[in-house]
Order: sequence, then C-alpha cells, then structure tokens
Amino acid sequence: MSDLAANPALERRASGRGLLIAGAALVAVAGALVPFWTTGAPFLLMLASQAVIAAILALSLDLLTGNTGLLSFGHAAWFGFGAYVAGLLAKLVTPEMLIVVPTTVIAACLVAAVTGAVLVRQIGKTFAILTLALSQIMFALVFVASDITGGEDGLQGVPVMTVLGQPVVQAQTWYWLLYGVLLAALAASLHIRRSPLGRAWLSIRENAERARFIGIDVNGLKLLAFVMSAGLGALAGALLALFNGAASPDLLSWFESGKILMFVVLGGVGTLVGPVLGGIVFTFAEHYVSSLTSAWLIYFGGLFILIVIVAPGGIFGVLGHAWRRMQGQGR
Amino acid sequence: MILKVEGLSKSFGGLKAVNDARFAVAEASIHSIIGPNGAGKTTLFNLITGAIPPDSGTATFDNVDITRWTPDRLARAGLARTFQRTSIFKELPVDENVALAIRAREGISRAVWQSRGDAQMVAAEARDILARVGLDSRANAKAGDLAHGFQRALDIAIGLALKPRLILMDEPLAGMSRGDRETVASLITMLRDTLGLTVVVVEHDVGMVMRLSDRITVMQHGAVIADAPPDEIRDNAAVRSAYLHGSFAA
Ligand SMILES: Nc1ncnc2c1ncn2[C@@H]1O[C@H](COP(=O)(O)OP(=O)(O)O)[C@@H](O)[C@H]1O
Ligand SMILES: [Mg+2]
Repeated sequence: MSDLAANPALERRASGRGLLIAGAALVAVAGALVPFWTTGAPFLLMLASQAVIAAILALSLDLLTGNTGLLSFGHAAWFGFGAYVAGLLAKLVTPEMLIVVPTTVIAACLVAAVTGAVLVRQIGKTFAILTLALSQIMFALVFVASDITGGEDGLQGVPVMTVLGQPVVQAQTWYWLLYGVLLAALAASLHIRRSPLGRAWLSIRENAERARFIGIDVNGLKLLAFVMSAGLGALAGALLALFNGAASPDLLSWFESGKILMFVVLGGVGTLVGPVLGGIVFTFAEHYVSSLTSAWLIYFGGLFILIVIVAPGGIFGVLGHAWRRMQGQGR
Repeated sequence: MILKVEGLSKSFGGLKAVNDARFAVAEASIHSIIGPNGAGKTTLFNLITGAIPPDSGTATFDNVDITRWTPDRLARAGLARTFQRTSIFKELPVDENVALAIRAREGISRAVWQSRGDAQMVAAEARDILARVGLDSRANAKAGDLAHGFQRALDIAIGLALKPRLILMDEPLAGMSRGDRETVASLITMLRDTLGLTVVVVEHDVGMVMRLSDRITVMQHGAVIADAPPDEIRDNAAVRSAYLHGSFAA
C-alpha cells in the first residue's frame, strides 16, 4: 500500500476506483428506493418494474453476445418460453414461485442445451439466422397449442403468485423482488466476467481459433454461455408473465428479439452494466416517446443506426469516456 | 520417436497440397521442415494439429494415433503450435494472453471461482514465461500494440505456456530483425537442451536451419523429397535441384 501512496498517478486511479464503487452503490440504493418515490404514482412503479425485467433480459443476451461474440437474432425465444412455461405451470400446477421459476429456468436450460449443441457449431450469420428460426418455431408452437396457450389472445388468468405460501400482491413487493433478481444476476455476471471462465469466453470472442489451439473447448464454452443466456432470458420471461398475470405471443416475435438486441447495443455490447442501463432507458423512452408520436419506431430505428455509427460503445462507452476525461482533468 | 507421420495426404480440389508425407521426429530434437512456398508445410501442420482432417494417412504422437483429434484435445495432450500468421489475443493484455494458456493447461478454464493464491501463481508463471521470450517488460501492454517481432514472440510464449512436449512453429522467425532472429533461435535451442522439448520448425533461412537442426525434412509439391541430418541434406541432389528451381530464399 505504501507503494501506491508513493505514486500519485496510481493513488488517483485507486481513489477514482473507490469513487466509482461508491457511485455504483449509490445508484443501486437509489434503485431500491424507487417504490418510495412513486407512492402516488402506481403506474410509474409498474413501468419501473417492466424496466427492471427488460434489464434482466438485456443482461441475459449480453451473457451470450458480449462474452462469446455470438449474435442472436432470436433471443425472444427464451423470453417467451419462460413466460409461457411459468404461466402454464402457475395455472396448472402451483402458484408457488419458488417452484415455478426454478422449474422454468431448468426447462429452458435443457432445451437450450439440446438446440445449442447444434447452433453453437455455426458461426456468424448462420448462427444468427438459426436463432431467428428457433424463435419463429417457438412462436408457431404457441398457435399450434392454442388450446392451452390461448393462441392469439395470449395466456390469461395466471393466478396470484406466492413465495413460501405468502401471496405476493403489493406492487412494491413485486418491484423489490424483481430488483433483487436483477442485482443478483448482475453481480453474478460481473463476477464471472473476472473469473477464469469469463476470461476464456473473452478469448473465444477475440480469437476462437487460437483459443482452440491452447486447449480451450470452444464449442463447449459457447454452449455454456448459450445455456446460461437462455436460462436468464427465461427467468426474465417467467417474472414478466407472473408479474403481469398474462403472456402474449408478441413476447416471442422477431420484433421483440430486435428490441432485446437494441437494449444491448444501446447499452454497450459486452459491458454487462451497459445493457442493463440500455434495457431501462429503452423501456422508459419507448413508453414516453410512443405516447407522443405513433412514428416512434422510426425514431428508434434512426437512433439505433446513429449509435452503431457514432458511439459503437453505447451508453456505457459514452459514460466511460466521460469518466476518463474527468479523471484526466483532475491532473 | 515422439511424432510419426505416415502417408498423410490432403487435396484441395485437384491440388495435392500434401501428398503421402512420411517422416519421424525424435524426442528432444529440433526438426526443421523446409521447402519452397506452397510446398505444403503449413497444410502439413494443419493436418498434424487437427485444424483440418487428412484425406488419408496417420499421425502418431508418443505412440498414440492422433489422426482426427481436435486441436484442443491435442493441446491438452501436450502438442502445441504457433502460427505463420501471428495468432494472439490482440485486445487482451500481454500477460493475459499467456495466462489463458496456463489456465487451459491446468484445466481451469471453466472455473468461476479462483483463489487469490491460484491467481497469483498463474500470474507469476505468466511473468516467467514472458521473461523467457524477452517480453516481461511489456506484460501489461495490449497485445495488439506490440511491434511485429514481439507479437511473434508472444505467439511462442502462448505455445510454451502449455508446457508442451512437442511444439510446431510455423516460420517463427519471419519478419523479425536479425537480432530478434538470433534471440528466438537460441531460445529454441535452449528449450531443447534444458526442457527436453521437441521442436518442429518451418523456416526459410537455410543457413539458420543448417545450424539449428538435428534433422531436416524437405518438401516440394506436397511430397517429402528428402529427410536426413543437415550434412546429408546439404549434399542431396534432389534438394539442390529444388533450390535451383524453387523460390527457396523467399
Ligand atoms: N484451405 C485451403 N484451400 C485451398 N487451397 C489451399 C488451402 N490451404 C493451402 N492451400 C494450397 O495448398 C498449397 C500448399 O500451401 P501451404 O501448405 O500453405 O504451403 P507452405 O506453407 O509450404 O507455403 C498451396 O498451393 C496453397 O495455395
Ligand atoms: Mg506456410
């Protein structure tokens, strides 16, 4: 530590890091306080809850795309899968969340392990197109099994959920539950990023051929990322269906897949925190802009193109840049 | 014989890139493969290391048939390679490039938890390996920011981090300054003499090859046209004619 103190540049960087952690903690606490700010505005709390779900969903795609470079055009497959499976389990089996949600996630992981074994052997465009195809198959399945899924009308009548037998009714409770899941998932993702597994994933994204020649089981690790990504995506879907008490086939549409991809690109691919912010910002922006103009999709399309060209690092890239400039000015 | 190649062949369309290649490599030796551009040297490496499947023939590593093994399995079994076109993780720090290989070797690439002690051990070993190729002072640099010669040295360091028994190096000296070439050449000799490592090396500088090698295999048009110790190769009529007709010095 005395070495650190002796070096002013290092010292500044260390204090900058402390500041960053303090800032992040502050933002996390502020997020937890949302239900107190919105006591008079139940709609806002609901929107915030949706935003948290979108953030979990965005994070789940970044686990795949950010870690291994595999681009999915059909990530909504897992979102919708989670929503329908959880909704049906709740209706037909039990409203106990501690049973429904883990079962749903495990089911998604199993389906992802089987389909992924084929998909992750493909690269680039082929992989992207096959993920789109997979999501379209799931979309079609909803209509094939419309007796139980409700088809075009969506799945209705999901009962009030319980945790350890206690009904979860209050909007505040729901928000904290969702927010807790988001924080836990983000913390786990950040931890894995720094672990040997996370580093090995990055090596695959960087140079898959070299990774193979140093003995990394490239397809195995891609599959692991695919399964984890699907599991977390399904978790987001499950939470959405149980929170809304309903699921609709839109959740499985290619449009939804595009939106998830936009969360990630908007936030900053591979930064984990960025996509979380992307999901939150996008959800609020979508709500307010779409209430102002029916042409909102055009604006979002334009924004998307602008980000890809002007700020390919997304929100996180811009924030990081500003932060480094501030650090630089401290000199 | 740590490596035996028996009748390996590979065609691309009508082109026989490697045609019934056979030779053997003695343990703890430096074995060079020379031949004009397009002779099939890189393709031969690709066949041995599982990058592409052969049409026919076998490769045996340490008396085990390794034909059609995948590259990752071979790497874990102690067969490493470096690439003609430098292949490193350009966006990652230099020491992380090496640490990745160490963790892969130790079978902990899937770990989500690593003790502080283990992490420090990996970091210390990475430093040692980097020191061996003269890269220790650049350990924290981004690999892609290194000068060309240093990137090639890093490629070798990644290979060494696997603690292989056999390493195939595809033109490790290409594009290096004379001084760096001497450094890498003495590194190769040192690896054989102190670690008992077997090195198969593709190299164009015939003077260097004669000096360095215990044995030399000469390829032309996909076929092995000579396979002997350096003295005999020097006097070999077929090799002399390949020199005259081929672009050996390229
Ligand atoms: N993947 C490939 N597809 C088609 N032709 C190839 C491929 N790889 C190598 N070749 C051809 O095979 C021949 C041998 O190439 P190579 O093994 O790279 O030779 P060397 O390394 O001795 O210069 C060349 O004619 C080359 O063009
Ligand atoms: Mg070559």
